[in-house]
Parts: sequence; C-alpha cells; structure tokens
Amino acid sequence: MSCGNPQTEQDALMIRRKKFDQARTCVKCKTNSGSIVVRYAVYCKECFFPLVASKFRRSLEPTINPITDGPRRRGLKASGNLLLGLSGGLGSTVLLDLVNRTYFKEPSTENGIEKPRGGKDHPRNGSVWAKTAVCYVETCSAFSGVRDKTEEIRAVVDKYDRFDFIPLRIEDAFDNAWWENIGGPPTQQEFGVDVTNEDLFLSTFATGETDSPVSCLKNYIASLPTQTAVPSAVQTLTRLLLLHTAMMTASSHLLLGTSLTSLSISLISSISQGGGFVVREEAQEEWTPRMSVDSNTTERKAGTVRTVRPLRDIGMKECGIWAWWNGLHIVGRERFPGGRQSIGALTKDFIIGLERDYPSTVSTIARTCAKLAPKEGADSICLICERPAQYGIQDWKARISIRSFEDLSSASYRPSHFPERIIKTSPTTPNPPRSPSLTPLLCYACHTTLTSRSIRGTTTNSSMIRRQSVPLPVWVNSRFDIDEKSNGEIWARTQMKGDQMKASIAEFLLNG
Amino acid sequence: MSTISLKIEFGGGLELLFANQRSYSLSIPAIVPTNNRTTPTPPPTPDQPQEPVETKPADVTYLIHHMRDHLLKEREELFIEDDTVRPGILVLINDVDWELEGEGEYVLKDGDEVVFISTLHGG
Repeated sequence: MSCGNPQTEQDALMIRRKKFDQARTCVKCKTNSGSIVVRYAVYCKECFFPLVASKFRRSLEPTINPITDGPRRRGLKASGNLLLGLSGGLGSTVLLDLVNRTYFKEPSTENGIEKPRGGKDHPRNGSVWAKTAVCYVETCSAFSGVRDKTEEIRAVVDKYDRFDFIPLRIEDAFDNAWWENIGGPPTQQEFGVDVTNEDLFLSTFATGETDSPVSCLKNYIASLPTQTAVPSAVQTLTRLLLLHTAMMTASSHLLLGTSLTSLSISLISSISQGGGFVVREEAQEEWTPRMSVDSNTTERKAGTVRTVRPLRDIGMKECGIWAWWNGLHIVGRERFPGGRQSIGALTKDFIIGLERDYPSTVSTIARTCAKLAPKEGADSICLICERPAQYGIQDWKARISIRSFEDLSSASYRPSHFPERIIKTSPTTPNPPRSPSLTPLLCYACHTTLTSRSIRGTTTNSSMIRRQSVPLPVWVNSRFDIDEKSNGEIWARTQMKGDQMKASIAEFLLNG
Repeated sequence: MSTISLKIEFGGGLELLFANQRSYSLSIPAIVPTNNRTTPTPPPTPDQPQEPVETKPADVTYLIHHMRDHLLKEREELFIEDDTVRPGILVLINDVDWELEGEGEYVLKDGDEVVFISTLHGG
C-alpha cells in the first residue's frame, strides 16, 4: 500500500514484507533449518518447545509467590492451591499441557531409579501448589442448539492423572444450592431487576418463588438488549463461577488459557463495551472473595485469588503448532449462535486477520494496554462482575446523556449541572413509590450490558421474559444489605428533595 | 496427464468441515489452470471454440481450491477467504510452516504432506 496511485506510478506499490526477516536457519541455534515463523523470527522444531515453555514460565512464575518480587524459579511456593480454567479451546488445552509438563511431570530418572536433585525433601523438589483442579463451565444451557461437551472435557482432563475435575454449568450462577455448597450464606430473599428502566429498579421475592436455575438463566439472557451483551454476560458469569470455585478449593491462583491473540481480542472488545476502566484487570487481577470476609471462614479463604494468564506472550499460532506437534486433542468451543455481528465476534475477526499480515501489531495491543492505568480511583466493587467501578460514573453518564424532564423526575440521582429548582418546576407526574435501584451499584460496562439498546434492534424476545423482574446471579443477591430485624427490608440511600425532607421532620418543627 | 499424490491432515477441529475425517490421501494433476479451476473445461462448440488455458504447476493455492470443490462438506467461508485459507488457519507443508515455503505459491511434489490446523476454536 502507498499514498501514490499504483495505476500511474510503478513505484507506488510497496513490496510486501517477507514473512521472515533473514535466512531460513533457526535464529536461536543457528544450525538447524527453520520450521516455524514467529513474528518474523524463524525457529527450528527443537528450539520452538523451549521457547514456548520459557515464555510461559516467564509470565507465570513472578506471580506465584504471594509477594511478587521478580522471576525466581527457586523457592516458588504458592500460598494456596491451583485452579485451571478449561474451556476446551486451544489456549486452555495448551495451558493444561504446559502446567503438567512444567510443574507436575515426574523428575528425570537415572537407571530407572528416581533421583531428584538434592533429595526428595529438598524445598526445590516440593510441589508449587499442594492440589490442582481443573474447572469447566458448560454453557450449553444459555444457547439453543449447542451440545453438552462435559464428558469430552472430562476425557481430556482424565489423561492427566494429577488433576481433579470440577464440572460446572452456567446456570449454577442462579442456583442457591450451588451457592450454599461453596459456602455462601443462605439466601433469605432473592432479587429481580426491571431491565426496562435504566435505573434497574429492584424487586424482591422469597426464596422458592423463582423458577429453576435454567429458567432464570434463560430469562436473564433473554432480557439482554443486544447480541453483544449476550456473550459478555456469559463471559462474566463464567468468570465469577471460576473465581468462586477457586475460593471454594482454597486456590491462590486461577490460571486461564488466554493467548496473546485472545488477550488482544478481549482487551479491544472490553474497551469497546465500556470496560476501559478495568483494562488492567482484563490482563491480570486479584479478587478478594466477599463472603470469606463476611463469614470469618478459614484463613485461606480470606485471601485473594490471583487470576493469571500465563499464555499472554504466546500467540495463537504458537499455541496451534504446540498442540499439533504434541498431539493434543482440542475439543473446541462453539461460537454463540447468532452472534456474528456482536462486538466480540467482529473484534475477533479483525484481530485474527490483522495477525496474519501484521503479527507485531497484535502484540503491541496487549503491551500498550498493559501500560494503561485509570485516571481516577475506584468508587466501589461492581455487584455483578465484582471488578472495580469507576468513581462518579452515574454523574458522568448523566452529563453525556440526553434526558427528558420525565426521566429526571424519576431518576434516583440529580445531575450536578441540573439545578434543583428546575426539577421542581418541571412538569412531572406524581412519583410512584420508588424501589431501590441497582444502577449506582454497577460499573459502567455491566450497566451498559444490561441497558444499552442497539439501533439495530434487540435480542429481547418479550415472550421469553416471563416476569417483569429479571433474576440476578446468586452472588448479587448475597451482596445486598438485608436487615433481618426489619423483616428483610432493603436499605438504600436516595437523595431527597427539600419538601420531602421537610415533610419527614414536619412533626418536630415548631412552626410547621 | 501426470498426477501427484498428497496426504492431507486436519487439526484443531477443522476436520468438522471435512466430514469429520482427519486424514485424506488424494491425487491432483501436476499441471493445473492458472485460474485454479478444478473442474474440467466444457468441450468446445462451434459457437464457442475452446480458448487456450494458461497453466502452471500445481501449487498450494490450487490445492485449497481443489479441497473446497471436492472435499469440503459445509460452510466454505470458514475455510477459504480471498483465494487462500481463512485467517486463523495454519498450514504446515512437510511439518514446516508454509510461510517459510512461500505460502500458496509452493509447488507441490509427489508425496508431500500438508496439514491444516484451525486456531479458531476458542481460548
């Protein structure tokens, strides 16, 4: 490509860059003939395996010890167990294989007798993690026409005899039995949300009134306003299920098989959907289980779960070649049916196309995002995704949105630029009794996922939403401050108008 | 017409597009049309005399077209795009990255093994 006109100028066409920089000889050993090109550098098959393994260790090992103090192979000891998230896709399958080879393979033997260097009791020869489990979240209930792959995934995990297998289902996010099983406090009341209003007013219904977890899940999915929101919501539910499972298994680390390519896709996709504030968490995050703080459970459960993506420096191409040369079976993940035009799917197509022609640019996306930091601090933790929520996000949304007087009179907050006297004089309808709003408790991305409607129409099928009130995931229910002494009444803070304040203290005023 | 024998393999779930068969042995002509047409040219008629067809030695681009026309069972768009494989599909020729061999311009030889690996099956 060039700025010149190739029709008239012969030199206007740039010569396409070669896919590799120099000769076909391996850049590392400089003797063997190359077998693979990784971002313009040529490697032979013998040098490729240590290359990938060292990139994996270099990403993971600085995060293993509780205090991250540099890449130290010796003395690696995690404070808890290990949980691996396995989706059946390429990245997570390669991750499983790399973890097994690096940390759980039998030490080399001499003459058939096992002789670990320094003796078997030497700290160097101890396990980094005491226990390791693999968790798979089956998402077939969220979509019609998708088959259950749990048994295929189980067969993959069973090949590694050291890993426990924990199968979950996406509907567990709405299942009180699962919640209590992992140590969550019993739910007295369940909450639903009115997705037709951007204030997301809450309503309550007693435990047992709700439908089955699958029905709740389908109702939740059907209530989402766009094709983009559906995979995002499923991704968030899956992430929280994995994190809570990590807490239940007393794991200090949750490893995900996000490759460099997948990370770039998820970063761009997340930013496009309003997740720019948590761009660092998209790459690596530490999550503190709220319930362990509340319920004073075991010491380990009070700790954080560190989510690490050890393949973040390894591209999808290297993963594919690693899987092929090691004979790994990829079960595969199916795309969300009907989601071809979602932001996530379009971003994936764009980044994968970009990687073919400009592989370094894809790497640049991830490296640039790693340098980003939010300008302002976090206000709170979002109730749905449990990631930091930006300070003053509702004020900001109020400033950039076009609203009617009617919206303003029913809103639970007042934009700072909008004087109260205007609200007083605005034509309003009498306020109905106001329910608590979920909106101030959400981050921008989750609020957008639940409420932002597409100009192309919605995925919402009104017949699918059987009740006005859409059920919420179990961890959201547990977060509300329910005062049992006041018969389960929900406490929420709302701004009162002057006359309302006066009315509430009227009987104490001397000159009423 | 001389032919060359090839072994084709699929990985990463790509076999699902090819009748769920992971390996094929096939023969293709050694000399093929430059436009990668894989079906025989219709016989000449008095109205439409046969035009001379430009030819070339069979290369990987031709093989991709041959696979699309004779082996692929469903969803062509998931395999081929702009006369080459879709981005996200890796190709190994005799266990070597096809980027080292000239990609689609690699001239196939008798007994070559070509592997197509999909990386699009999630993360």
